[in-house]
Amino acid sequence: MLRTLMDFFRRDARHAQIVLLAALLVHGLLNLHWSLQLPRYAVLIGSCLAMQAMAVRVLDLPLSGLKSAVITGLGLSLLLHVGTLGTAALAAVIAIGGKCVLRDRGKHVFNPGNLGIVLTIILSRDAWVSPGQWGSGALLLVLFGSLATMMLLRVGRADVAFTFLGSFGLLQFARTVMYLGWGTDVFVHQMMNGSLLLFSFFMITDPMTTPNAPRARIVWGMLVAAVAFLLADRVRIQAAPIWALFLVSMFTPVFDRLWRAARFQWSPPVRNTQINIDPITS
Amino acid sequence: MKLHRFLLPALLAGSLPQVGTAFCGFYVAKADATLFNDRSGIILVRDGRRTTITMSNDFKGDVRDFAMVVPVPTVLREQDIRVVDRAIFDQLDAYSAPRLVEYYDANPCQRWDYAVMDELDRAPMAGAAMKEVREEQSARSRGVTIEARYSIGEYDILILSAKESEGLKDWLIENGYRIPATANEVLDPYIKDHLKFFVVKVDLERMQDMGFEFLRPIQVSFESDRFMLPIRLGMANSKGEQDMIVYAFTRTGRVECANYRTVDLPTDRHIPLYVKDRFGEFYRDLFKRHYEREGRHIVTLEYAWNVTPSWNGVKCDPCVGPPPLTAQLTQAGVDWVGPNGGANGNVFFTRLHVRYARADFPQDLLFQVTPDQQQFQGRYILTHPAQGDLSCSAGQDYLEDLYYRRKKEVDELATLTGWNTWDDRRYIDEVKGRMTPERRNGLDAPVIPFRRPGGGQGPGSMLWLIGLAALVFGAAVHIAARSRALPG
Repeated sequence: MLRTLMDFFRRDARHAQIVLLAALLVHGLLNLHWSLQLPRYAVLIGSCLAMQAMAVRVLDLPLSGLKSAVITGLGLSLLLHVGTLGTAALAAVIAIGGKCVLRDRGKHVFNPGNLGIVLTIILSRDAWVSPGQWGSGALLLVLFGSLATMMLLRVGRADVAFTFLGSFGLLQFARTVMYLGWGTDVFVHQMMNGSLLLFSFFMITDPMTTPNAPRARIVWGMLVAAVAFLLADRVRIQAAPIWALFLVSMFTPVFDRLWRAARFQWSPPVRNTQINIDPITS
Repeated sequence: MKLHRFLLPALLAGSLPQVGTAFCGFYVAKADATLFNDRSGIILVRDGRRTTITMSNDFKGDVRDFAMVVPVPTVLREQDIRVVDRAIFDQLDAYSAPRLVEYYDANPCQRWDYAVMDELDRAPMAGAAMKEVREEQSARSRGVTIEARYSIGEYDILILSAKESEGLKDWLIENGYRIPATANEVLDPYIKDHLKFFVVKVDLERMQDMGFEFLRPIQVSFESDRFMLPIRLGMANSKGEQDMIVYAFTRTGRVECANYRTVDLPTDRHIPLYVKDRFGEFYRDLFKRHYEREGRHIVTLEYAWNVTPSWNGVKCDPCVGPPPLTAQLTQAGVDWVGPNGGANGNVFFTRLHVRYARADFPQDLLFQVTPDQQQFQGRYILTHPAQGDLSCSAGQDYLEDLYYRRKKEVDELATLTGWNTWDDRRYIDEVKGRMTPERRNGLDAPVIPFRRPGGGQGPGSMLWLIGLAALVFGAAVHIAARSRALPG
């Protein structure tokens, strides 16, 4: 029984991701008392699935892409608030549609959830992100951190999460504590924001849309942090990391050309030979 | 236990005098502290980059002792500062407060908070010009610049900028403001963040000439990307809890807090009839329990509604106070309706209640405007039982339902307020008196819930469980992976 379960999670890192995101949604509903909006979640996840199914049909993509669509739908449910269900459907169409259309040498440019959120906010004027909805606290860090690190180690993207959080934290510390002179509790409160942590561990780390080469990912993560910091501090945009990721993602193809490496694949090839042919380290 | 509850900071009516501060001002109470400061009222209007803040002045002490220091992002011009009628706060409060009609008698006052001076400089009028020169000279030597000086209504207003907190603090002390010793840690960041200081005193003679007994609310407007309330200044010398009610108006939808959770007030609950006479106490305890359960660092949504004057929809349900009229909206700083505003001026109203203490709110409140038009109100429902003869079978069924319903109401009351409802058995049992003996014997024994007041579980406990489970699970996966890898 346990072995079957283990196999299920090891076969594809997305399985764990789906379980984690669903758990976070349940946590939001049960513990943080978000208003239960089942139609919204149904439309978001359902539309993502429908769009992906269409893509599977038309573009002859692998069926396993449906798992990614569920992840996108869950991610949108966790982050994006909408006024009407039509807007929810629009977000799903943009997210999955953008994944199929905006491609560079076969790799999609934007994180689907990120693209869905940003464009839906701009286009519909009926959608928003609530950066305060998770609250702030060390518990969140423990939770997100422990859950996500495990998963990211599996897909090899923990580097992006920690680069981003580290650089963003350094910039915030320099500005808030060292320059402005606030106490460290202000800094801790900023960094323990649940939305920031969710973004760091679940959005920016998408293995399909981060640069392929590890070195490129470090630079890229730092760039997202710098842009997010500027947007938050200068332009005073709320949920700045989401906008920063959108802006920096436009240049991900450039990163992939400067630092060459093989693309990520969800299901690893034959396991025993993986180490020998793993092109990422070469 | 009950006595203790009464002694908690009162939310609805008067409160115990205490040393502390609210929103953005220093405040040092006198020994006999006649000043109340546990509750402040703010009207917040946001339209694009423009923010209008109105601060209610329900100042109880000697007006000579009144003074206020508020950080603002720009040097305000004279036309950016207004004095408005204080009735606007009462009207908005009456319209949007959590509803049970009797609630309103108990809730007459909003409170605001101010820096308190030792004594105003009562130099003779002839010396006024001299005084200004003195002030400016001393300001320059302290790195403080008096950017502007206005007399508006009963208030004398200065806009200060400063180079460093020590100089500003010294200048304020020199000019009669008693500044808490810990003020530096807050003043410094504001100065470095290029904020200006809006400093207000009362001109007693002008006030007497105008015939006002009370200080009227001051309204300031400015353009800025920041949409925030600087609560840290008001907490500089206080560790206690303070309450603030924010009445916010936008064109698009709800206002929510961007750096703390905005949580809905528990609403639409059925509660026992006898709460009617104790509604003030009920809501006070409900709020306290809600705030503690949600982990204290939260902002509570108490009301959200479309109040566009030209909109024909229902403005409240039920209405306990009249919805704001165009004239009141204009007074509150909503400048896109009324004669000068266009016909398409939508107005959405949000009421937020913040209970804050230094330990739970390290950061100033940041807000954002959302397109969320969902309406919300805090509503508690009393249901009177049917009267007359209920001896028929349907009537007996009804009484049975009523019996269980009352059990639920009492349970709800205990859950919401933490009250010990042991004595409330009579409320449930009185239904039995109207039932036939057979029916009465068929009832389940009432299980009266007994709750210990306070002890609500924070949202954290579940998080720990999930986190722990994940760690165990992760370790298991890791071990399984390794044990597999070895033979391969």
